[in-house]
Amino acid sequence: MNHSSPNEPDDVSRRGFLQLTLGWLAGTFAIAASAAGAIRFMVPNVLFEPSQVFKAGRPDDFPDGSVTFLEDERVFLVRQGNTYRCLSAICTHLGCTVNRAGSGYHCPCHGSVFDEQGSVKGGPAPRALTWFQVTLSKDNRLLVDKGRTVAADKYLVLPTSA
Amino acid sequence: MNPPILKRWWQKLTRTRVGRSIFRVGLPGSNLERSQAMTSSFLLHIQPAKVHKHSLKAGYSLGLGLISLYLLFILIGTGVLLMFYYVPSTERAYNVMKDLQFVVSAGLLVRNMHRWAAHMMVLFVMLHLCRVFYTGAYKRPREFNWVIGVGLFLMTVGLSFTGYLLPWDQLAFWAITVGTNIAGYAPIIGPKIKFLLLGGNVVGQEALTRFYALHVIVLPTCTLLMVSIHLWRVRKDGGLSRPDEPSEAVEQIPLGQLPTNKSYGLMELARGTTPQVGKNPEDEVFSWPNLVFREILLFLLVTAVVLFLAIFWNAPLEQYANPIHPPNPAKAPWYFLGLQELVSYSAFWGGVVVPGLLVTALLVLPYIDRKRVGVGRWFARERVVANSIFTVCLLAAIVLTIIGTLFRGPNWGWVEPWQQPPAVVEGH
Repeated sequence: MNHSSPNEPDDVSRRGFLQLTLGWLAGTFAIAASAAGAIRFMVPNVLFEPSQVFKAGRPDDFPDGSVTFLEDERVFLVRQGNTYRCLSAICTHLGCTVNRAGSGYHCPCHGSVFDEQGSVKGGPAPRALTWFQVTLSKDNRLLVDKGRTVAADKYLVLPTSA
Repeated sequence: MNPPILKRWWQKLTRTRVGRSIFRVGLPGSNLERSQAMTSSFLLHIQPAKVHKHSLKAGYSLGLGLISLYLLFILIGTGVLLMFYYVPSTERAYNVMKDLQFVVSAGLLVRNMHRWAAHMMVLFVMLHLCRVFYTGAYKRPREFNWVIGVGLFLMTVGLSFTGYLLPWDQLAFWAITVGTNIAGYAPIIGPKIKFLLLGGNVVGQEALTRFYALHVIVLPTCTLLMVSIHLWRVRKDGGLSRPDEPSEAVEQIPLGQLPTNKSYGLMELARGTTPQVGKNPEDEVFSWPNLVFREILLFLLVTAVVLFLAIFWNAPLEQYANPIHPPNPAKAPWYFLGLQELVSYSAFWGGVVVPGLLVTALLVLPYIDRKRVGVGRWFARERVVANSIFTVCLLAAIVLTIIGTLFRGPNWGWVEPWQQPPAVVEGH
């Protein structure tokens, strides 16, 4: 309904103004709420993914000075003396699995090169490979938590008698 | 001389009571019937009764848009067939591929056709984009149709990207891993988009389910809708772009003084760019048979080429997806290899910034390059600057693609294609 007089076509009556404002507001809100609801629907609330925490085995399963690739977890377990560390094998560039090459690591997808500390030595990788926290469980197993990252110089140190 | 036998049968059929009720006009014999054949048929009425001679010139359009459309038809047909067997499950999808290859009657042929038609569609949509650029066909009044066309190009790429996760082989798994990680580099919303696409943090069952839904319903529906708008606008803008006609032929007809020998619809008077306004009727020919038969012929040709490729070359299928070991080198299909080469320098600049800028440039192009010169001619001299810039970008893309395809070996290292690639040494 248009209540404005023919002489002043731009004049909007109070009723017209309210109708317009409320109408547009309601329409905008309905569309925005539906879109927001649809997007929220797409975000899963439960993930059926493998646990980030896993037991890697007994400390003595890994010989001194070894770098062991744990396939299922896509990590390298590094033992030097009685220190233990765990390095992610997922390239920080675009998520391929890096291969051991010499003392460092090579990514087959786009040619990133990392040294034994995981630092970038070449290629497009933007960051060093990630180190994960290693602890010892009560039943004397190495416990790796891929949810917790640590600095490259953090070790799990075990008594030599272990 | 008697008409050919097929024609006689057709005439007989359309003269029967049932035939008349279905086809109404029958085989057109007069110009009136040629118009009626187009306007009385649902499938044909999408096209005009008469078409400009310039629109029919094969050397102008090269039929690239139509070829893309026909490839889309073939893809929908074969895609629906594949859906009768395919299961979007990480455990079963790969086995379905093997069944299609070894068990299902003509299964290999259908999958091959789907794969080659998809590759060809990406190629022909790109070529169509180039044709429209080099003929200046995106200029007024076709600016927005160009924008829709760029959207259709992105849809085509999106369809092929979502399509190749579905076999759940090595290529599928690692292409999606790399692709979604590139999306993750987008500023601010990148990681969220990646999470939404995958339905989680890893490429697994949830990702397969989502890509399947996108591939078989979301993207095809959007594409078909956009194709409809694209074609509708081509028709409303008076057919294909062509050089402006001599101004003496254009005579503004004042409203209310319409000549009585021609009927005008309201729509045709609404704007000055429609086919009927100010134009010599001699430039037009009847769509039946001039346009319709050319279209049928082209469709047969496209189908024949796809069949030929599908019979003699099998669609590749790599090993079952292995989340631990990417193939070395892990290569995307040819149309993404230029992008992969860029990404191998920097994921953010090569994967987000450069493609983002290119798409933005394409989208705003018709609103920046507004001068209506050189429309409807290939490589018009007036457009030498625009054509040069476009050609440089195009050549860069081609060179990057060639490097990514032929000159990259294990660990994305430089290899020369005429030499034996070095053996890959992998140790853990």
